[in-house]
Amino acid sequence: MKRRDFFTAASSMLLPVMVDGFGVKSFAKSSGLVQSLMKTAALNTDRIVVIVYLSGGNDGLNTVIPLEHYSDYYGLRSNIAIPENQVLGLSGNLETGLHPVMTGMREMYNQGKLAIVHSVSYPNPNLSHIRSTDIWMTGVDSEQFSSSGWAGRYLNDRFQGYPLNYPNNEMEDPLAVQIGPMGTTTLLGTTQSMGISIKDPTTFYQLIGSQVPSDTDLPCCDAGDLIGYIRQQQLSAVGYAAEIKAAADAGRNLAVYPDASLGNDLAEQLKIVARLIHGGLKSKIYYVEMGGFDTHAGQVTNVNTDGVHAQLLKKLSDGIAAFQNDLKLQGTEDKVIGMTFSDFGRRATSNASKGTDHGVGAPMFVFGTGIKRQVVGTNPDLVNGLLPVNPQSWETNRDIKMQIDFRRVYADILNDWFGTASSKTDQLLFKNFKTTSLFSDTVQTIASGAWPNPEIWSNGRVPSSVEKIVVNAGHIIEVGQNITAKNLQVDGELKFLGDFNVNITG
Amino acid sequence: MAYLDTYTAPLTASTAAHLLRRATFGPTNQEIVDFTGKTATQAVDLLISNASYRASPPPPVEMDETRADAGQEFLTKPFDGSRTYEYFLWVRYWWIGLMTEQNGHPSVLEKLTAFWQNHFVVAQSSLGDYRFPDRYLRLLRANAMGNFRTMTIAITKDPGMLVFQNGNANTKESPNENYARELQELFTVGQKDFAGNANYTEDDVKAAAKVLTGWQDVNLWAAGSTSIGSVFTPSRHDVSNKTFSGKYNNTVIAGRSGATAGDEEVADLIDMLLRHPQTPKFICRKLYRWYVNSNVTQEIEDNVITPLATFFASAGNNYAIPPVLKRLLTSDIFFDNRNVGALVKSPAEFMIGMMRHLNQPVPDITTEFAPFRRMMQFQEWGMNTMQLRFLDQPLVFGSVPYYQTGYSKNWINGTTLGIRGAHTDAMVYPWLEIKPGYMLGIDFYKWIREIQPNFSDVAGTPAIPCEELFAQFSKNFFALELPESQKNFLIDTIMMRSVPRSTWIFELNKYRAAPTDAGWRNAVIGRCQALMKYMFRMAEYQVF
Repeated sequence: MKRRDFFTAASSMLLPVMVDGFGVKSFAKSSGLVQSLMKTAALNTDRIVVIVYLSGGNDGLNTVIPLEHYSDYYGLRSNIAIPENQVLGLSGNLETGLHPVMTGMREMYNQGKLAIVHSVSYPNPNLSHIRSTDIWMTGVDSEQFSSSGWAGRYLNDRFQGYPLNYPNNEMEDPLAVQIGPMGTTTLLGTTQSMGISIKDPTTFYQLIGSQVPSDTDLPCCDAGDLIGYIRQQQLSAVGYAAEIKAAADAGRNLAVYPDASLGNDLAEQLKIVARLIHGGLKSKIYYVEMGGFDTHAGQVTNVNTDGVHAQLLKKLSDGIAAFQNDLKLQGTEDKVIGMTFSDFGRRATSNASKGTDHGVGAPMFVFGTGIKRQVVGTNPDLVNGLLPVNPQSWETNRDIKMQIDFRRVYADILNDWFGTASSKTDQLLFKNFKTTSLFSDTVQTIASGAWPNPEIWSNGRVPSSVEKIVVNAGHIIEVGQNITAKNLQVDGELKFLGDFNVNITG
Repeated sequence: MAYLDTYTAPLTASTAAHLLRRATFGPTNQEIVDFTGKTATQAVDLLISNASYRASPPPPVEMDETRADAGQEFLTKPFDGSRTYEYFLWVRYWWIGLMTEQNGHPSVLEKLTAFWQNHFVVAQSSLGDYRFPDRYLRLLRANAMGNFRTMTIAITKDPGMLVFQNGNANTKESPNENYARELQELFTVGQKDFAGNANYTEDDVKAAAKVLTGWQDVNLWAAGSTSIGSVFTPSRHDVSNKTFSGKYNNTVIAGRSGATAGDEEVADLIDMLLRHPQTPKFICRKLYRWYVNSNVTQEIEDNVITPLATFFASAGNNYAIPPVLKRLLTSDIFFDNRNVGALVKSPAEFMIGMMRHLNQPVPDITTEFAPFRRMMQFQEWGMNTMQLRFLDQPLVFGSVPYYQTGYSKNWINGTTLGIRGAHTDAMVYPWLEIKPGYMLGIDFYKWIREIQPNFSDVAGTPAIPCEELFAQFSKNFFALELPESQKNFLIDTIMMRSVPRSTWIFELNKYRAAPTDAGWRNAVIGRCQALMKYMFRMAEYQVF
């Protein structure tokens, strides 16, 4: 750990250290304090987040299928519903399953490397692609605007003075790498993009010299020669080209990815990301994307498990599973997590064109060995959990109500994965967002209320008997049942509504 | 195809655009409409005659609005050495303003003047005195469409040139050969012919230097002086006969004395240089590289350069410039497909062409000098960072991309691409306020309203599809028609971000119904911005 990192890490704990009158310098590396500090934020300097953008608005209900509400599910969308017996079951989670093509991600779930965050959205949802995507990327309330992206602000803050004073000894590599033809708002800092972008996989392989450009769309004669030349220059103008090439040369893909002939763009992008990670590129954030999720019509064929959406989900699942396997074989698995997001969810009710229109809540996936829990929130309640809450008779199109604000996931990534001070995270996200405990083995209360109300728990679920539980100060939790927990710490108050027991299994 | 035969097909939008892109710094869409349907001859005649509209534009003024003398003409005032930097800028802004303005009368004048500026180079950095580049520029503008002989004589005696090429230090006692060499190597005969044979000898340089003795500039940096000029001093002049080599048919220029000796010998010298068969070829080759294609093959040399040069020097034409320009710009070879998009835009064609394509008005230099300055500052600084500095080239050779191997490719590298992108981004995401109510750049709101008929009538008038918007936004944008695959990529991936194209109709109608709704407005304009930003940064936009 570098000195500066140490001080950064220590800063949040600096007060007790200094009050006790000890100079930080006096601690040897082996001291208990230093060891404990090293286990906190500063250790996270090599951590990486891969952001996967599913452009168009993914249909959550046909991705993560609420088996426990299957008949309601079927009733809302019989013309596109996945047959119950074909839904992929999940180990230890009978209530939920995945689309039949998602075998790769099902395997990841069963290995504890995939988390499902249910019904993610934000208050007052906007159903415009561009605006809603902008909200997701900038991380603002739906009535607010920001000219910077959430991840860009984070990088802007963590690597101050970029790009003027970079590369330097603290950071030799690009802060973030995007593969895609247009810079994403997600990575925009306060004045510019904090990442470099590589137009597409072909460009990457040209950049590292393993593929000779073979432009097929060049005009004839001198104009074609000039355009080809300028494209070459554009290629070499990619920021940090030398660092990227060095990492690409040092890194290798060890897993088998979907064959190039299958046209899995996401897999091609993730393959590059894995290679760069293996090659030691120190970039903190990678951003990849795949399009086509705006499935207003014909998302299934005459067979409900086939069609455009199935093809997309297969690419998604195959791509992410190959990537995760690659990281495992490389030995880089523990420092990488990934997350998916999309413009918005789609309607719970299908339309007559075998498609779904723009909607609200939808699941996010978070993947990697760093997650500490696999389910946040519950399957959407397809009877009482729909919008409008009290529909008029003509309001037959129903939406899935939000359970989890997407910025809670962002906050967990910034706080718990990157080790950002929570006050700083609040600043980056413009306000405080409660944890979802994605990266914590402890469930905590986020509000007062009745014990069986999932909304008062950080993970959006009523704690099971194997959870470690904290009732936070200021919260009054009404208990009308016997409780079993692995551990229970009460900083707030348990208000027993009768003669009930608490059983701690330790 | 006969190379120099006149192109007879009536101009289409695409051939009219090609002509205007090359003959000027880039057309507006309206100019392309105006020129469509004309013959090449009619079109070039008009481009030539339109030069008269700006023969005597109003002079540059002090553009620093914080000064008491803001708005005042300064070139008529006594020399002020403390303002050399700014005044030189104002002179350059003045010229760039003339290149940029859209007055409805597109003309060859400024582009041709820029050619001569790159040919008869005088670099301000060795002068300092702002009056010298001003005078030099006026000389070029006045002679650009005149006679090459007259211009060469005039530039030889130009005080700026006398300083820049040390003619002022050239005396019979100690000849300075600098100008005598460049006059031959760069301005007239050229160093070598197309086959690589030397066009003159070292002794010819010495002889020419003797002819040129005796000239000096007047009042460079003279505080308080109200005029500049050049003077011939008979006592500094070498009166001996000057004998030239066989390259010039062993011409002897008779030594003269007295006040008229300088003019008489210069005239003889230029006559001799222009009799050299390589001179018209050298100039025509350079014009071809400027206007048509930097790649001059043996085929082009034989079929275009040689006959054009013969015409240029012919008794009937006698080095008149406009007829040569006209023959070149109306020729079959000029309109040949292989020459469309065959040059990389110089920073001037890039920046000025962008302003003209986007109809960015130039404020009046006399009455709106501060807004004028803001706009020209953006342009001048942009070109500067892209490696073009008008009136102040790095070397007497002119800008590197007009002579170095690779020619116009030399404009492009990682840095200049980044700078080019930053300047086009400034059009897509406007940030520079020229004056209240005038943000430099694209007003997408206005543009969409122009394209969408009956904007507010959502129920009665269908929304224009995204293909139509793309067609409008990309109209006359690229020198070459894009392949369908690229058009589809631009629409589907860049503009629509891989959502179905029909989404555009939905969003546009939402915006039409609620134009003040920031969400729908941003949705629609965001797509337009993404498209324009990307197109501006494409390699295809860099060529013309």
